[in-house]
Amino acid sequence: MAEALIVRNLSRRFGGLRAVQDLSFSVNEGETVALIGPNGAGKTTSFNLITGYHRPNAGSIAAFGRELVGLRPHAICAHGLARTFQVARPFGKMTVLANVMTGAFLHDRTMDGAREKAHEAIDFVGLSAKEHLPARDLTTIDQRRLEMARALATQPRLLLLDEVMAGLNPAEIDQAVALIERLSQRGLTIVIVEHVMRAIMAVARIIVVLDHGQKIAEGKPEEVMANAEVIRAYLGTGFVHGAVSGAAQC
Amino acid sequence: MKAKRPAPGWLWFGAPAAIALVLPLLVSSAFAIDIFIRVLLFAFIGVAWNLIGGYAKQLSLGHAAYFGLGAYTSTILLIRFGVSPWIGMLAGGVVAVLASLPIGALCFRLRGPYFAIATIATAQVLMLLFLKFRDFAWGAEGTTIPNLGNSPLMMQFDAKVAYYYIALALLAIGLVITYQIERSWMGYYLVAVGEDEDAAEAIGVDTLRIKRQIYMISAFLTALAGTFYVQYIYFIDPNTAFSFNVSVEAALVSIVGGIGTLWGPVVGTVLLEATSALLQSWLGSGHGGAQLTVYALILIAVILWRPSGLLGVLTNAYAHIVQARPAKREALIDG
Repeated sequence: MAEALIVRNLSRRFGGLRAVQDLSFSVNEGETVALIGPNGAGKTTSFNLITGYHRPNAGSIAAFGRELVGLRPHAICAHGLARTFQVARPFGKMTVLANVMTGAFLHDRTMDGAREKAHEAIDFVGLSAKEHLPARDLTTIDQRRLEMARALATQPRLLLLDEVMAGLNPAEIDQAVALIERLSQRGLTIVIVEHVMRAIMAVARIIVVLDHGQKIAEGKPEEVMANAEVIRAYLGTGFVHGAVSGAAQC
Repeated sequence: MKAKRPAPGWLWFGAPAAIALVLPLLVSSAFAIDIFIRVLLFAFIGVAWNLIGGYAKQLSLGHAAYFGLGAYTSTILLIRFGVSPWIGMLAGGVVAVLASLPIGALCFRLRGPYFAIATIATAQVLMLLFLKFRDFAWGAEGTTIPNLGNSPLMMQFDAKVAYYYIALALLAIGLVITYQIERSWMGYYLVAVGEDEDAAEAIGVDTLRIKRQIYMISAFLTALAGTFYVQYIYFIDPNTAFSFNVSVEAALVSIVGGIGTLWGPVVGTVLLEATSALLQSWLGSGHGGAQLTVYALILIAVILWRPSGLLGVLTNAYAHIVQARPAKREALIDG
């Protein structure tokens, strides 16, 4: 399987804080990889480095055979990497449809073409009924859905989702998991930062565990759950016997 | 635009256009025509400003730079080389576009209030430069524009009404351009930039590029207004051409009317100019600035009461009276 994303020896300091240290991992095309770790472990910083919002102090990031370091975020998006933000950032005064059309314009500058692509993406995330509402009037989960639709409208090959499930209730988490599974079935490569263990276990094929900016473990979910260092740093003793109860939401 | 949908598109343009076209036939007083011309001109400058300041929310307070460059370009071409101001007007637009490139490159590195301050500085620097250009551009004294009598080819007319229709044409051009942009990918990108630049970048919007592009269009249009203005008042000096008032007025009429809306600057100019003219005739100038004080109080009240502009109040009232069906037309922006 070809590699969609290769991160090598990535480092970023903020003053004295080493937010990401010597991080390496790769993601195969069509695979879903989860980045987990305690707060401040460097997950969101890694996302910001990959998508061009921060420049790394060292290291390289290649996606689909092209070096990304030094590109601006819009160019990285045009290369096929779309992201969502930890706190959803809809264009509040635009309607849902206009938000998603703005994403669709990346590959289709015509109104009709963009509208069609936007409808498709809105339908996919299940927001069709609220298409004409201004984005600022949406609930939290709908804003997340909107952000996902907007990202999908750019027709990405790799989707980076930053804590899309934070603050959702269990039923909403189930919906979100189902959505991510459907995206994966469509062949999309997904990198997901998440705290909700139940969701991670459901969607991720590979888990990368970060702590203090460093990778402390990587592997299949069962392997990672059994790793003593991971348990110490992050999961807590409830996971000692691989008991994935679904209740653990840090 | 689409034949299926009855009305709004052409009606919104048609009704005001009809009123504007016949207005000078109904009102013949030179004083009134002069006020109308100022309203049209500042509405046009507001429309030009609104593209960058309203849709993309880049609060420029330096549009006098382009107004002045337009004014000086056509005047220098006219007096030194005998070139018609019609051509000079377009040349001024080109000069403004060229000037907007380095100015934009510098200022767009900054965000928010820092951007606004930087744009103020660019207009002030240009004013100072033209104060020093004595041989080339008449320095601080300025110059009158030679009166050639009634010569339409030189943009000079005996009848004030002619200036009225030129200003009206400029405003129409500005509105049509805005209308087209609003209904294309560019409009969506601009509003996205105005809402959240980082989020816009995340979905592939080259924010720097779109800002530069719209700034060029805005500068071009503002320069046309500059040429027109000096041809209308027959006089130019740096303080007139690069007046800070022009920059402020451009922003103010848009903010009062409603930024990022097609008709906002027009509504804003009509209301502000009418208020100003009425206050002047009621309070006169004898009460030591009483008129300006009341004007300022009204401004403050509007901005506190309706920060999104008065156009929204008018359309809400309209919807209330007609009970129009809710937002059938595909709105880029609600309301």
